[in-house]
Amino acid sequence: MSAPERPRIAGRPMPLIDGPEKVRGSAKYTADLPSEDALVGRILRAPVDHARLMSVDTAEALALEGVRAVITGADCDTPYGVIPIAMNEYPMARETIRYRGEPVAAVAAVDAATAEKALGLIRLHFKELPAVFTTREARAPDAVQLHSKKPGNLEREVHHCFGDVSAGMAEADLVREASFHCAEVNHAQMEPHAALAEYDAERDHLTLWSVSQVPFYVHLTLARCLSMDSARIRVVKPFVGGGFGSRTETLNFEIIAALLARAARGKVRLCLSREETFLTHRGRPESDVYLKIGMSKAGRITAVECEVEMAGGAYAGYGLVSILYAGALLHGIYALENVRYDGYRVYTNRPPCGAMRGHGTVDVRHAFECLLDRMARELGLDPFALRRANLLQAPMFTANDLMVNSCGLQTCLDKVEKASGWRARRGKLPPGRGLGMACSHYVSGAAKPVHWTGEPHAVVNLKLDFDGSVTVLTGAADIGQGSTTMVALAAAEILSVDMSRIRVISNDSAVTPKDNGSYSSRVTFMVGNATIRAAEALRDKLIDAAAEKLEADPADILCQGETFSVRGSQQSMLSFQEVVTAALAREGTITCKGTFSTPLKAQGGKHRGGAVGSTMGFSYAAEVVEVSVDEATGQISVDKVWAALDCGFAINPLAVEGQIEGSVWMGMGQALSEETRFVGGLAAHANLLDYRVPTAVESPDIKVFIVESIDPLGPFGAKEAGEGALSGFPPALVNAVADAIGLDSDVLPMTPDRVLEALIKARRAAARRRIA
Amino acid sequence: MSAPLPEFTLLHPHDVDAALAAAKAHPEARFVAGGTDLLVNMRHGIGAPDTLISLSRIKALRRISATDDGLFIGAGVTLAELARHPVLRHYEAIRDAACVVAGPSHRNAATLGGNLCLDTRCLYYNQSDWWRHSNGYCLKYRGEICHVAPRGKRCRAAFCGDMAPALMVHGARIELATADGTRHLPLEAFYLEDGAAHLVLAPDEIVTGVYLPPNDADSARSAYTKIRIRQAIDFPLAGVALACDPVAEGLRFRLAFTGTNARPVLVDLPEALDSGANDATRDDYFNGLEKLVQRSVSPQRTTTTQPHYRRLAVAAMARRLAVGLAAGSAAGSAAG
Repeated sequence: MSAPERPRIAGRPMPLIDGPEKVRGSAKYTADLPSEDALVGRILRAPVDHARLMSVDTAEALALEGVRAVITGADCDTPYGVIPIAMNEYPMARETIRYRGEPVAAVAAVDAATAEKALGLIRLHFKELPAVFTTREARAPDAVQLHSKKPGNLEREVHHCFGDVSAGMAEADLVREASFHCAEVNHAQMEPHAALAEYDAERDHLTLWSVSQVPFYVHLTLARCLSMDSARIRVVKPFVGGGFGSRTETLNFEIIAALLARAARGKVRLCLSREETFLTHRGRPESDVYLKIGMSKAGRITAVECEVEMAGGAYAGYGLVSILYAGALLHGIYALENVRYDGYRVYTNRPPCGAMRGHGTVDVRHAFECLLDRMARELGLDPFALRRANLLQAPMFTANDLMVNSCGLQTCLDKVEKASGWRARRGKLPPGRGLGMACSHYVSGAAKPVHWTGEPHAVVNLKLDFDGSVTVLTGAADIGQGSTTMVALAAAEILSVDMSRIRVISNDSAVTPKDNGSYSSRVTFMVGNATIRAAEALRDKLIDAAAEKLEADPADILCQGETFSVRGSQQSMLSFQEVVTAALAREGTITCKGTFSTPLKAQGGKHRGGAVGSTMGFSYAAEVVEVSVDEATGQISVDKVWAALDCGFAINPLAVEGQIEGSVWMGMGQALSEETRFVGGLAAHANLLDYRVPTAVESPDIKVFIVESIDPLGPFGAKEAGEGALSGFPPALVNAVADAIGLDSDVLPMTPDRVLEALIKARRAAARRRIA
Repeated sequence: MSAPLPEFTLLHPHDVDAALAAAKAHPEARFVAGGTDLLVNMRHGIGAPDTLISLSRIKALRRISATDDGLFIGAGVTLAELARHPVLRHYEAIRDAACVVAGPSHRNAATLGGNLCLDTRCLYYNQSDWWRHSNGYCLKYRGEICHVAPRGKRCRAAFCGDMAPALMVHGARIELATADGTRHLPLEAFYLEDGAAHLVLAPDEIVTGVYLPPNDADSARSAYTKIRIRQAIDFPLAGVALACDPVAEGLRFRLAFTGTNARPVLVDLPEALDSGANDATRDDYFNGLEKLVQRSVSPQRTTTTQPHYRRLAVAAMARRLAVGLAAGSAAGSAAG
């Protein structure tokens, strides 16, 4: 823990400091930026699922009055992708179209109508190829291959085995297996994709404003795909209306906007429709999870076997990380010795999947927690008792070498068990109502970043000037999760100053230090620690200046509540401004830097892919869900949720509470109603009417409990708070439905039609049993 | 991709005659009220009328009046107004329906007339122009085949308005105006079983309102409910309105459905529920009702939710409404 006593400023509920602009509507998101002088950009998208692209004829479109640029796949021959060893995507299709909706060309014109007209004048010549949409089709022996050197359309297979699984299964009193199918889901963030690109032809400089969670990766990718020196590029992230992983890699429209601006030698505004935003996708892939668990009579897990198959869409993206995560995060929540994992990430002719809140773990955790409940039932054990029988004891390293320094899962279980009245109420509710529970966890940042450079994971700069204000410069991308407020709180805590003295500037590559971005819940842990270190460096300078003025030893200087005094003496006390003046007299405007790097032992095992899943600390969650099921219509209503999250320490309890509620709610969407639906390769869900995120009506009362296990390496003891509570919801819901109506479901989402169909099947089976 | 809204001239006539004259002067024009259906379709490249004639400034269309002969509701009354209007106290199905259309912001703009004239909906139709182009368009608009029933020659797009079935079980008549005068039809006669042409409305004709026969605490009781995945915003996967009249033999049920066919479907139950029936007979009656509903509706693959489910669920809901109304009515409670 970085601070010796309980923090005074950090740990108090604080409304987000960038909230007023959002509430007033004055916050400028990318689409709101001044663009009177900008051309309108539009993308032409492939009308077929899979095809050899022979030519793209742009002559007519270029000749149209008001058209300033038309670009195609020929304008960028450099593949890109977030994983350096798996770059296989072009901003616009070149020789092959691999999914319906893939960009094939783009125009910049003086207005939207002209741009639209120009799109209609571009002639595509292609030869259709057979297409594959499911993992079964894609892995069939005679299936068409999407990418060369990827036989069987396998992007990546993973085979990991830790401990002795056969011995573990042999030792078990009960072995059960089940297969689960989880539909593909999308982030459906509030803000559709948008980018504004400005090319300065005299200087050969490019500025891109975009909706990114990872401006640094966007910067690198622009340099790569435009063959520009990165020094000539500036990337700015304005206010962002949600990410949830949809923007954790550079997206094709960002590169297209930049290419258009350069081709038109000017400024181009490219705003995607909701449909295009859905087509850009990068959501959680459709997954089949086969799971086998061995267990002792007492409920102790003796061995686990898991096989996961993901339909990843047409390009690599984060695919290999997703399939590695799915296996790695079997570990880290329970004490497991013997675990085998086989993962298959498969290419299909659909929009590419990517990272989504709870990346990699959600569907596997769903299967795991559902099967645990079924086995508990068979063994006559209470679901809570079963989890308690398998808790891991921190500090420890898991079988796959993940570092666990703190775990508050036991407390989480206690909280939700008590608050939900589990013992008194479970099994005693009226017909059609039930209680279910599940546990989950998530990483606090990947201990090894996807783009390994050897640099620190996070750098934060502070500036203290004559006015006595402290400016924090960070590349941490606030996408609504509250990282800017977290940074301000951490700085204010260490400097012991009022929050109003702190200004946070984030995400302008011309001003702020590089940051890897907002993904894998890394920001609080890494940027928080870097902020603490930067603030400590600044505090040391102030203490030195105060010590000199007070003629005391720096070690005796007390810095508290914007005053500096000598410990044990009340006589001479200096105000913050007096100390600032003294400090600046020595060296002028002060700038300090803080960095954070992860220790080697946190970076995962030596096995291939061992870095994925490695982290500085895991958050832990336990949830209880109460449901009512209407057996006539199959409709499930969620009546109440109790969710406890161990986030180490809540730097901003208000934001943590919001993150837990958001996680529960997003998990509920995946559990109840959200799924992508295709007609062949054509997305039939690409709007907010057919892609059914829950409405306020479906949103239950959520009772949140924050558990603080104080992680030894976290900033003030903090770990992640934004993802851990998501993956517990779907299994808790399914377990609650089982309790309510005795129906075990293997499919997500549990839409009313699926529930009714399953009920009818179950009734028929019961009738057959009666006859037999 | 949602294309930019095509350019059009927006006219604001102040009375029905002026609106009809404008329609005559602009043969390509479309009438628009709340715009919650039309404008979405236009953004999807479905139609590009050069003129829109707004009906929102016509005061006569916003009238609700109650007389001894019954109730008149103007076509321009918004669904939000309807939902809270005390005059609908004894027309519960209508009020229920007005409360569950889309979401609150839609109901503030959307009108009764607009909901009655709602375009039919289909998975293959309510998509962007790029989508439909990429899919070869369809029978309903610009295409040759129906993707729902490829061998069929008739469009299977489903009528999904919530108000029509609720009005139908209350015996509503619709009033239509042209330059030549007005005509009145039973509401069920306003619709045709053809998804591409489901209204008998002429291009130069306006829906001005609906008439409802009197209803009071002693006459028919009614209710409306709909099947949907989310309990707001979603169109009905299927919806059912039900009215129950006390008659000499007992209770008489009238049902109407939406979301299941190209038009709202009205079903008059031939037999009444005997007020003296015992529990087993009542159960048989309601089972019969449920089976009849299953036979009376024909949902197609117009949504991603399977037709079979929509059929079963709407029949189950119809049964539940009937049981509830029977239990609540005087005859029902007399029967115990």
